[in-house]
Amino acid sequence: MTILEVRGISRRFGGLQALSDVTFSVPKGQIVGLIGPNGAGKTTFFSTLVGLIRPDSGSVQLDGDGVVGLKPHKVAALGMTKTFQNVALFAESSVLDNVLTAGLLRHDVETARREALVCLDRVGLRSVAHKLAGNLSFPERARVELARALCTGPKVLLLDEVMAALNAVEMQDIMGLIRSLRDDGITLLVVEHHMRAIMTICDRILVLNFGRLLADGPPQQVANDPVVVEAYLGRSMEAHR
Amino acid sequence: MKRWIVIAVVLAVACLLPLTLNPTGYWIRVLTFTLLFAAMAQAWNIIGGLANQTSLGHAAFFGIGAYTSTILLLKFGISPWIGMFAGGLLGGVAAFIIAIPTMRLQGHYFALATLAFGEVMRVIANVWTPLTGGPGGLSVPFVPPSLALYSFKQLLPHAYIALAALVVVTIIFEVIRRGAMGYRLRAIKENPAAAEVIGIDTTKVKLQTAVISGVLMAMLGTLYAQVAVFFDPDTVFSAAAISVRVALIAILGGVGTAIGPILGALFIIPLEELMNDLFSSGAAGLSQLIFSAILIVVILWQPRGFVTVFDKMTARFSGDISDKDRP
Repeated sequence: MTILEVRGISRRFGGLQALSDVTFSVPKGQIVGLIGPNGAGKTTFFSTLVGLIRPDSGSVQLDGDGVVGLKPHKVAALGMTKTFQNVALFAESSVLDNVLTAGLLRHDVETARREALVCLDRVGLRSVAHKLAGNLSFPERARVELARALCTGPKVLLLDEVMAALNAVEMQDIMGLIRSLRDDGITLLVVEHHMRAIMTICDRILVLNFGRLLADGPPQQVANDPVVVEAYLGRSMEAHR
Repeated sequence: MKRWIVIAVVLAVACLLPLTLNPTGYWIRVLTFTLLFAAMAQAWNIIGGLANQTSLGHAAFFGIGAYTSTILLLKFGISPWIGMFAGGLLGGVAAFIIAIPTMRLQGHYFALATLAFGEVMRVIANVWTPLTGGPGGLSVPFVPPSLALYSFKQLLPHAYIALAALVVVTIIFEVIRRGAMGYRLRAIKENPAAAEVIGIDTTKVKLQTAVISGVLMAMLGTLYAQVAVFFDPDTVFSAAAISVRVALIAILGGVGTAIGPILGALFIIPLEELMNDLFSSGAAGLSQLIFSAILIVVILWQPRGFVTVFDKMTARFSGDISDKDRP
């Protein structure tokens, strides 16, 4: 069953074609990795999916509902949200309140508080629930982002570099968490620079370069695709001769 | 628990205090205006403190309230109690209309846009003579004293009405702050994009906040009209005497906290009166100069408002460490 259907998404910023004709579809319960060199348009693409950026053309169907042109809160209500790469927490609020606020999308305050504690448990941050979000370390804040997004009760969750700056153990934890979310029926799109992590957890990988979808397939196939290697490492010397 | 005892004691003192003052005297008047301005600053605090949008145009709603109830009383003999709700309705409509274009503005830009709106209302009231009486202002007609017609011989009932208004507005403020809307407003204040992405309709929440604040401010305008008995456009739509003053009271007391506007009003209104008393016989403007100098010193001493001092004091007396609900 297809949960996310992206067709011909394009977006131009002035002279820069940030996204051009991105088309793919995701079946329910898949973990999809989105990779590409810096500036490839990964974050722009996530922002477009959740409604922060409006595409110039194209359509996005989330579980049968068209979401292009909807405001982000409507998209969240329909079941798709994202984390922010540069971490956009409510820094002056407690960790619990950050997550609780997201729970208000579907619950009253008391139920949202219970839901928030469950989400904090899942990311392993229940012990710091009453600390100010701004006082946490960067990896912890990224996990609060994850818990907050999770607390909106999403069908599709877009994770923008939640593993940045994690050590090996923490990374294992997050990878386990991502798998368990998938087992709960959540579909995940994951942007990550850490190649080994992404090759391990993803069922499928999309490669974006200059806003264009370059490759789409299982991790091993994509890793060996000469077009992908060229995008990352440049053309081999022989090709120039 | 201790918190509730403190609140009960403060309320009891507030209820008894008016009785100790000379009912026809000067200080009961000061007290009434202190309570009224505390309520106004609390209404402002809903948008200024919770939504973090520093409005400098709240005189617009205040004046709308004062004029609506007074015009209804003058032309149709409608009780100001009903006029108060009519004014609240119009104030809410005005707040809605002004919020649509200004909502996206932040900081100084929002402040300036709202300031302009307040001034526009003042000009309209000055030129729309058939309805408002123009620059000459309006006098609340004398009617025989009766609670139903909001008319009293003495100031004492006005003091109690102002106290009741302050309590009601403060409860509304606290309910919003502690409830779902409070969480949403803090999220919007700290990161509007993230708030949207996790499902908060930022436009709707901001509009609701602006309208609630505008409705309350307009209703308080009626209270003012009934106490003052006479007013003109330059008083009720005044940028300095109303808009800036209510913002100042809330900010000086502690913006975004329930106790802030109360502390601010208890300080500013009596101080202003006292300065006028002591220095108005001296050089022109001397009382204003000294008043402003004191404000500057106070703001330098406590940039986050009196609430910081208040918190330290209550912590010392009750052994209760500062309010952990406070964001």
